[in-house]
Amino acid sequence: MANINELMDGWSYGKQTAIGTANSTAIWRHTNLNTKPWAKVPVNEDDRAEIGKGHEFPTQLFKSHYNMPTYEISKYASSEFLAWVMAFSLGNVTVVGSTAPYTYTIVPALGATNPTGIELPYFSFIQQIRPGGSAVLDEMLVGCAIKGWKLSIKNSPGRSSAMCSCECVTTGQYTSPSGVTLPAVATPHEFNAGMISALTINGINYLSGGSAKQFVSLDASWENNFRPGFFPGSGNQDGYQIQGRFEWGDRAFAVQFVVRVQSGSMEYTNLINQTTGTATITFTRDSSNAFTMTIQKMGFNVAELSNTDGIATLQVTGVQLYDSTNGLVTMSITTPQPGVCQ
Amino acid sequence: MQKVPTVFLESPNGDEIKEVEATADKLTPLMVAGWHQVPAPAKHETVTLANAKEGK
Repeated sequence: MANINELMDGWSYGKQTAIGTANSTAIWRHTNLNTKPWAKVPVNEDDRAEIGKGHEFPTQLFKSHYNMPTYEISKYASSEFLAWVMAFSLGNVTVVGSTAPYTYTIVPALGATNPTGIELPYFSFIQQIRPGGSAVLDEMLVGCAIKGWKLSIKNSPGRSSAMCSCECVTTGQYTSPSGVTLPAVATPHEFNAGMISALTINGINYLSGGSAKQFVSLDASWENNFRPGFFPGSGNQDGYQIQGRFEWGDRAFAVQFVVRVQSGSMEYTNLINQTTGTATITFTRDSSNAFTMTIQKMGFNVAELSNTDGIATLQVTGVQLYDSTNGLVTMSITTPQPGVCQ
Repeated sequence: MQKVPTVFLESPNGDEIKEVEATADKLTPLMVAGWHQVPAPAKHETVTLANAKEGK
């Protein structure tokens, strides 16, 4: 028996060279607000549908496949975690810096020009409880990818004012014991809403001027809509079929935000006039830790009057347009962490 | 004035390598067009016939 507090999560900040090749060297260990381990779900099937047995009941079990559930890594937003999430979920990564800090520029990869087609980089995930001779849990999941993420910013004190979580998928391939000695828990450089140094959406500056006190919250999300990765030759583990690829489908980038209504609020005007513009959200902790999300061309789809904790608000749903030159969105992250997605 | 760090990007069809200032403004249009980062090419010293004769 073991308490779940003993669960240690680690995963590779470096990418795997191939979906089936673990990266067991560029590993970090982080805490996780998701308190569950990543379950492995082998699925059996039976012969109940087959006639010729003389009855309708199943008589045999057959190994089918590993039906691996998605797994959430939920953390307070930090320069390290944001660099990792954005790099592995969007795919096109440039890094500069020979010593810390390193600056990562990340945009969504396009299938036509991405060296790995419509597949994103893969990482390895390690989970352990009392690793060693009598481990309760010690395994490395190989061929993991980020299915999507959520970034939320809100009016509240502390680290929970800036949160990032991601949903991960994995093939079903694993090694146990992992053979990895996890390092000490990393100390990420976390952000909070007080560190926001730029917050301009479609021409409205929510940090200074007439709209400085309007902002309430923002939720952004990305979804890769992976296609199932079972195919001839996709591989097997313990006699169960595993997935051999995660190809993105129709990707979706959603942004919603809430602002207080005031006289002359520009949000409704921008919606009616179909005004579009960039949206820039920047966290600056210090010279070594910063994050900027630049949405290249954003319009407003819906601006709905609402009530947030007794304050009249507008809930605005953005529509993120693809700009022919600058694309959809650019993430720029400065962090002391080298080698992310490298 | 501090020099802006640069990175090397390769064109989508692999026929060109370009040194680019590592700012989001400069990198974004190229990355969107399919350019991707590659290691810095090895520096080659140009050897001229005159230099070679002089043993330089």
